[in-house]
Amino acid sequence: MTQIGPDETIWHYDGSNATRHHPALSWNADGFSLHWDGGGSGPHRWSDLMPMTGTAGRSLYGLRGVSGWRLGFAGLPPEAFAVHLPLVARYGRWIDRMGLWRAVGLFGVVAVAVVFVVLRAPQWLAPLVPQSWENRLGDAMVGDFGGRLCETPRSAAALAKLQSQLGKDVPIRQIGIANIGIVNAVALPGGRILIFSDLISEAKSPDELAGVLAHEIGHVRHRDTLTALVRQLGLSVVLGGFSGDVGGTVNGLLAMSYSRDAERAADSYSIDALRGANISPLPTAAFFKKLGKLSGGDAIERSMSWMGSHPVSSEREKAFTASAVKGHAYRPSLSPAEWQALVNACAEDKDVAPPTKMLF
Amino acid sequence: MSEQGARAFGFEGTWREYAPIAFTNLLLTIVTLGIYRFWATTRTRQYLWSRTRFIDEHLEWTGTGKELFIGFLLVLALFGLPFLFIQFGLQALLLQGYVGVAFSLGFVAFGWIFYLSGVALFRMLRYRLSRTFWHGIRGGSDDKGWGYGWSYVWKNFVGSFALYLLVPWAMISLWNERWSKMSFGPFEFSATASEREIFKRFLLFYLVPLVLIAGVVFAALFAAPSAMQASGGSEPPASFGIAILLTMLAVYVALPLIAVAFYAKYLRVAIGGLSLEGLDFHFDARTKDWFMLILGDIGLVIVTLGIGAIFLNYRHWKFFVTHLDATGEISLAQLTQSTTAAPGQGEGLADAFDMGAI
Repeated sequence: MTQIGPDETIWHYDGSNATRHHPALSWNADGFSLHWDGGGSGPHRWSDLMPMTGTAGRSLYGLRGVSGWRLGFAGLPPEAFAVHLPLVARYGRWIDRMGLWRAVGLFGVVAVAVVFVVLRAPQWLAPLVPQSWENRLGDAMVGDFGGRLCETPRSAAALAKLQSQLGKDVPIRQIGIANIGIVNAVALPGGRILIFSDLISEAKSPDELAGVLAHEIGHVRHRDTLTALVRQLGLSVVLGGFSGDVGGTVNGLLAMSYSRDAERAADSYSIDALRGANISPLPTAAFFKKLGKLSGGDAIERSMSWMGSHPVSSEREKAFTASAVKGHAYRPSLSPAEWQALVNACAEDKDVAPPTKMLF
Repeated sequence: MSEQGARAFGFEGTWREYAPIAFTNLLLTIVTLGIYRFWATTRTRQYLWSRTRFIDEHLEWTGTGKELFIGFLLVLALFGLPFLFIQFGLQALLLQGYVGVAFSLGFVAFGWIFYLSGVALFRMLRYRLSRTFWHGIRGGSDDKGWGYGWSYVWKNFVGSFALYLLVPWAMISLWNERWSKMSFGPFEFSATASEREIFKRFLLFYLVPLVLIAGVVFAALFAAPSAMQASGGSEPPASFGIAILLTMLAVYVALPLIAVAFYAKYLRVAIGGLSLEGLDFHFDARTKDWFMLILGDIGLVIVTLGIGAIFLNYRHWKFFVTHLDATGEISLAQLTQSTTAAPGQGEGLADAFDMGAI
């Protein structure tokens, strides 16, 4: 039996009230006990002592099963006593066991692997999802688009003609014109493509529309929308550990629509489809030239392009221009009457909901 | 217990001592894709609490990262998934034209979130008190906060009546309700702050629109016509635009300043109304102190290109403790162990709504 104290550098709370005691400590190989005037605690086993962390140069111990029981030392406990004590936890049990730097290295490698898989896996997973699931998902998400689709019998016929020329074997379920003031078109899950009305009203010719439409058909063919959805879902799960803002920002940056590879692939699908249908790619090239000007010119776009998902407009313009065969007799994708049917679709459709800004 | 001018609360930490904790927390949080942040919070609190002295003894934080993590998982399972569905579901409903259904569902979801935020505020306080030890004694509450959630909803709702003039009442009354249900050891807190003391400060908010209207009227009546005549055109000249810009700027500077001034007064009054058996609490941070704290925060974050943000918790806690004081006496022998049930998990709810301050 060894004994020290009592003195001011050793204190004790028994957890039943706030009175501070300065006990004498006595111990042997199995355990220890505390004694003070009018009271005592123990004997307790060494293994019931729990180190309390973060205590400003003081050493503080709790007792398993007794809330508020504390034994404190100013500075380190006497050495003969300390040899029996457990080590103080620092970063958390796993990390303490491994050591900080090994833990950082290990976690880092795992984190990079997880992010890599989450970014890559959608491309492997999306093709495995049955088309019927994707269709149902798309229906649930979009439905009839709240009655904002413009359609007349003649515009439907014109769109059907474009579809048969540009995407005969692609599982497209609908191509619609949405009464929304955006110069763009989107592919949606479930083989739907929406052309926003301003894309048609701004287009110089049906061939320009054909090039953009073929690009979206490329997305449908490669199932890029589903890939993007799966990726976004995965990222929000993986980054859920960060507090709201950080996770959201990173998620937004990484998940931004399709990957650039997917955009290139959709462009090359478009080029092939135009060639197959004997439609000139030059109007589409002109469209990208216009787009490049809108986004501030080549230099600005190039400097921003590391974060953008689309290839730089000038590169796309070049690719479409290069695919044109000089002196070749292309034919227009639509007759003037068919083109007019598309241009006037929203004006002539009496049931369509009024034009709106996009909700999302 | 502040005889001889010594304050009951003192903070003894230094940022140099805290820096290794802050930086390793940041590093580990990054490499674990954020999961470590619960353990990081715990380490930060262990440090801050242990450097905080109350009378003759330091506080002690006994919460664990695992608790916070479990709280987070619970919230994720119970509320996160349904909300995710509602978020995407609402969009789908709107797109498909079910506007009525979408709005009523959205309304229900909003009300539910609002109710839960009230519960979360209550449980956050309860959790923190139950994990804070002093002289081997902890705090807590026997109330689970479900009733407080309803108070939170209806009092905030009533607070919006009469041009939001009842907001001060709602804030103080909720503070009092929350703290009255808390205890430390065997003693219950008493919270008796009065909204009357913060009402005048609150009226400052109503000054801004008046100033704004006065500014616009002035510009319209005097500045614009004379300037228009001078330029001889029918279009308002640049000086008119500048006048509007100045008015807007005044509003954007004035509103946050008033908010700071109001919050400073609110916290002084709210904490000033708190007592525990023989102890009365005081908080003496004035608008100027808050203003310097916020300026310091902004400066620190900008100068360090954002890295300094990891020291904000430290700064805020130090600010809080430095301005906190207590007078009166407490009998250590009578301060017996709390019999309240210690909550099993951490601040999951509050965490999910991003309401944790420290």
